[in-house]
Amino acid sequence: MNNQRPPGLFIWFFQWYCRKNLQEFILGDLEEQFEQDVEDFGATKARRRFAWNVIRFFRPGIVRPIFGSIKLNNTGMFKNMMTLAWRNALRQKQFTLINLFGLTLGIAACLMISLYVYDELNYDKFHTKADRIYRVNQPSIWGDWDEMIASTGPNVATALREEVPEFEEVTRVMQIGSLVVTPDQKQTIFKEDRIFGAEDNFFKLFGFTLLHGNAQTAFSQPNSIVLTEETASRYFGDDAVMADLVNQTVEIKEWDGKWKSFKIVGILKNIPEQSHLQFDMLASMSSYQDQMDMNGWKWIWNIFGTYVLVKPNVDVAQLEKRIQGLPAKWAAPTTERIFNQTVEEFTKGHPWTLELQSLGTVYSDGSPADHGLGPTGNPLFIKIFTAIGVLVLLLSAINFMNLSTARSTGRAKEVGVRKVLGSARTILVNQFILESIMYVALASLLGIGLVFLSVDWFNMLTFKEMDLVDLLSQPTVILAILAFILIVGGLAGFYPAMVISAFKPVQALKGHSGHAIGGKWVRNGLVVFQFTVSIALIICAAFVQKQLKYVSNLDLGMDKENVLQIHNIEQFGFETEQLKSQLESIPAFTKVGKSFGLPPNILSGDRYMAAEVNSEVVQMNNVRLEGDYLDLLHVEFVEGRNYDSSRPADKYKVIINESAVKVLGWSDEAEIVGKKIALASGDEDEFEVIGVVKDFNIHSAKSNISPLVMINHKNDQVWDYGAGLSFFSLKLNESRVQSSALLMEVIQQVEEVLASADATVPFEYSFMDQEFERAFLFEQRMGVVLSVFTALALVIGCLGLFGLAAFAADRRVKELGIRKVLGASITELWVSFSSEFSSLLIVAVLIAGPLSWYCVDQWLANFAYRTTIDWWVFAVAIIGAFMVAIATITYQSLKVAYKNPVNSLRDE
Amino acid sequence: MGRTNFLGEFEELILTVVLILNDDAYGNTIVSAIKEHQNREVNLSSVHITLYRLEEKGFLQSDMGGATQARGGRRKRYFRITNAGKALLQEMKDARTSLWELTPQLKFSHE
Repeated sequence: MNNQRPPGLFIWFFQWYCRKNLQEFILGDLEEQFEQDVEDFGATKARRRFAWNVIRFFRPGIVRPIFGSIKLNNTGMFKNMMTLAWRNALRQKQFTLINLFGLTLGIAACLMISLYVYDELNYDKFHTKADRIYRVNQPSIWGDWDEMIASTGPNVATALREEVPEFEEVTRVMQIGSLVVTPDQKQTIFKEDRIFGAEDNFFKLFGFTLLHGNAQTAFSQPNSIVLTEETASRYFGDDAVMADLVNQTVEIKEWDGKWKSFKIVGILKNIPEQSHLQFDMLASMSSYQDQMDMNGWKWIWNIFGTYVLVKPNVDVAQLEKRIQGLPAKWAAPTTERIFNQTVEEFTKGHPWTLELQSLGTVYSDGSPADHGLGPTGNPLFIKIFTAIGVLVLLLSAINFMNLSTARSTGRAKEVGVRKVLGSARTILVNQFILESIMYVALASLLGIGLVFLSVDWFNMLTFKEMDLVDLLSQPTVILAILAFILIVGGLAGFYPAMVISAFKPVQALKGHSGHAIGGKWVRNGLVVFQFTVSIALIICAAFVQKQLKYVSNLDLGMDKENVLQIHNIEQFGFETEQLKSQLESIPAFTKVGKSFGLPPNILSGDRYMAAEVNSEVVQMNNVRLEGDYLDLLHVEFVEGRNYDSSRPADKYKVIINESAVKVLGWSDEAEIVGKKIALASGDEDEFEVIGVVKDFNIHSAKSNISPLVMINHKNDQVWDYGAGLSFFSLKLNESRVQSSALLMEVIQQVEEVLASADATVPFEYSFMDQEFERAFLFEQRMGVVLSVFTALALVIGCLGLFGLAAFAADRRVKELGIRKVLGASITELWVSFSSEFSSLLIVAVLIAGPLSWYCVDQWLANFAYRTTIDWWVFAVAIIGAFMVAIATITYQSLKVAYKNPVNSLRDE
Repeated sequence: MGRTNFLGEFEELILTVVLILNDDAYGNTIVSAIKEHQNREVNLSSVHITLYRLEEKGFLQSDMGGATQARGGRRKRYFRITNAGKALLQEMKDARTSLWELTPQLKFSHE
C-alpha cells in the first residue's frame, strides 16, 4: 500500500454526475485501478489515467438524469407546466402569434429607446477622474443675466487658481479654429473647425488617451500640437506610422494671414463619441501667449471653457458657495477699464455667479446650451423618448394581459380538472406566471433580433454610433434584460393568473365558464387606455409635423431662397471689391453682397445706447454688411434708405431694425432717421441712423426677432474692424439654374474665380434656406421618431383589439346565429357587434383629445412662432384611428356574420 | 435466435471472462484478465457499461461484498453468470462450430 490518493477534484466531479446507486463500486474499481497504476507507472501517470477514466465514465447509463435521481414533485410539475404552455400555444396559433408579435414590437421599441437613453446618459464617463471634474458656468453677461453660459473669460481660471486651494487643477480649453492647416508646405490644405487650445495641465484632468508622446510635457512649449489619429491619417495617409509623426511639423494660417509652424508632440486616440468636447487637434495655449498677455486679465472675451479638478473628499456644494465672492473682486478691473462701470453697474444688480457643473451631467443636462466645444444633449428629447418607450411597452404588456384573460375561457376546464385533482391555487398562479415569463423571454429574444436589424437605421436618425453587440456582451446589460423579462413577465402574468385561477371548479366543468371570466371592466378599461395613448400620440405627431411645416414656410421678412453663401472670404483680405466684380460677372447671379455674419447665425452683439442724455444701455445684435446684401435679401425699408456706395459718408452710418427702434426707447411716430446711437463702453463715437428696416429673422424661427444694428462693412471705428469671418452671398437667377447639374456648374465657376485669387483658401459654400432648415434638425428628427413610435403604438393597439374581437366573436357566435335566423341582415349584425367596441373607442377619444391638446400646447410654448391648434387636426387624427380600429373589428364581425347559423346553433 | 439472445463481440468476451473468473469477477479483474489472456487494453467504463447491459438481459447476476482496506474501503460488485448466460455461450459456441464444419476443409500440405 502506498499513500498516493487520486485527484480529489475528479472524485468530486464523478460523485456529482454519477448515479447514486452505481457510485460506490465504480469508484472502488477506479481507485483499485489507480493503486495498480501507481505501482505500474508512477503517481503522475496514474493521476492522469484516473482523470481520463473518470471522464470516460461520463456517458449515458452512468450520468444521472438532469432532474435528479430522486424526482421531487415540483420539478415534475414544472416540466408538466412547460408542456402545457407549449400545447396551449400550439392549439391557438392565431393568438399566440398576435401575443408574441405585439410583445416583440413593444420590447424592441423599449429596448431601442433604452439603448438611446443609456447612451445619452453616459457621456464623459470615460475620464478616470470624471467624478471630480466640474465645469465652471457663469451668467450670460451679454444678454439675459438669468441664463447661464459655459464660456468664461480667461481670468476666471486665474482667480480660481489663486484663491481656492481645494482645486487640484484648473484648466482652460479654448476654441481656436476655423483655420486652415497644411501638413506638407501648402501642397494640401485642410480647413479645420475644431482646433482647441489646451494648457499644460490638460491631461492631468481629462482622460483622453495619448497614444504617442508625453502627456506631462505635451503642452509645456509654445507651438506644440497634438493630433487625433483620425486627423493624422487624414494628413499623412492611412498607412502612416503614428509614432514616426511625432516631432514632424504642420503649419497653421493665423487670422492675420501669416503661417505659423507647430511641432507635433503627440498622437491622441480618437475622441470617443460620448464626449462633450469634440476636437481634431489641440494646440498649446502658450502658442498664443501674446494674446493671453494682452487679454488674460479680462472677465469678458468669453471663449474659454474652464474646468476644475476638485481634490478628493471636498464638499462641492460648500465650495461652490465660497467662490461666489470671486467675480465681484476679480471682475472689477474689467468693468472699470473697459466699460467705465463698477461691477454692480455692469451687472445692473444681477448676481455674477459661478456655477460648478459636474462633468457627468454637462452633456445630459442640456444647459447651458451651446458651449461651442462639442455637442449638448437634449433632456426634453430624453424625457419624450423615455415616456414613449414606457408607453409602448405598457401597451404591449396590456395587450398580453387582455388576450391572456380573454382566452382563459378555453382553459377553464383545464383549471377545473386541476383543482379537482387537488391543485392548490398558488400552483395554478405559478403556472400562468411561468407561462407569461416564457412568452416575454421569447419575445425579448425576437425583440433583440429586431433591434439588431434596425439599429443602423436608428443610428442614422439619431446621429449615434450605438453598437448592440458591444452592449449585449456586458454582464450588467444581460442581468438587466433578465430582470426585465422576470419583472415584465411577472407583472403581465399576474392579473390573468389571478383571474384564471379563481375559476370555481364545479362551474368551470359544467361549462358555465362564461360567468367565471371576471374583470370585463378591467379589460375594457385597458382597451380604453390603449386607444387613448394611440390617439393622443397620433394627434401629437400630427402637430409636430404641422409646426415643422409652419416654420419652414414662415415669412421671415426676407427672401431666403436661392441664396448661395461662400465662406472663408476673410482669408482673401479685407479688400474684396475685385473678387466681387468677378463674381458679379457670372450671369447666373443677379446680385452679390458681402456680410460679416449670416442669418440664422448672427450671434455677435454689443451694448448700445441712444446718443441722448439719460438713455438706457441695451444689448443688441450687430452685423457688418454692405448695401447690396440687404438688397439681395429683399429686406423692406420702413424709413430712410439703404447704403449707397457712391456716398463715402455712409461709412459711419448705421441701419437698424424695428425691434431696435423699440428697445432704444424711440417712439414710432417720430422721425428716426438722423438720430444717433453710441456704444455703451463710453466711446466717443456716435453713429447716425440712415434707415430703419422691417424686422427680419436673423435667428431661426424658434426665437423672436432681436434688435439689430447694421454697420457699414467699411466702418473702421468699430473695434472689430478688420477681424471676423466674412461671406459673399450670391442670389441665383432661378431661370438660369433649373437643374442640379447647372447648379453644380455655377458653383464650379465660383470655385474657379476664388482659386484664381488664392488657391490656399478652402472653398466652402452653403445655402441660406438649408441653414434655416438645419435649425430645426432636432425637431425634424423628433418628428420622425415620434411618427414611427406612434405607428407602433397603433399597430399594437389594433393587435389587441383584433384579438379581443376574435374572442368576442367566439363568445357571441350563438347570439348572432339566433339573430340571423330571426332575420337580421349582415349590416345589422355588424352594427350590433361593432357597437360594443365603438363605445370603448369613444371613451378613449374623449380622454385623448384634451390630453393631447395639453401636451401640444406645452410643446408649442417652446417656439416663438407657433402653428395654430386647429380642431380639424384632432378630427382627422380621431377619424383615422377610428377607421383603423373599425376595420380591425369588421374582419371578425363579418366572419361571424357570414357563418351559417346551422353550424353555430346545432350543438348545445 | 431472438433479439435479446444476440450478443455482440465485446459482450461475448466479457461474459466468457466472467465465466472464467468464476467467483472473482468484478470490474478490475475483468480488465486485467482480458489484458492477460487476450493482450487487449479495454477501458474500465466500457466493461462496466457492458456488465450492466448483460445483467439487464439476464445473463449475469451481481451482488455487493468484499470490503477491504484497499480501494478506499469501498465494496466490490461481483458478477456471476446465470444459467441462461451459460446456455447462451454454449449455444453460440455450437453455432459457430457447426458453421466452421460447413467451410471447405483447409488442407495444409507438407509435401
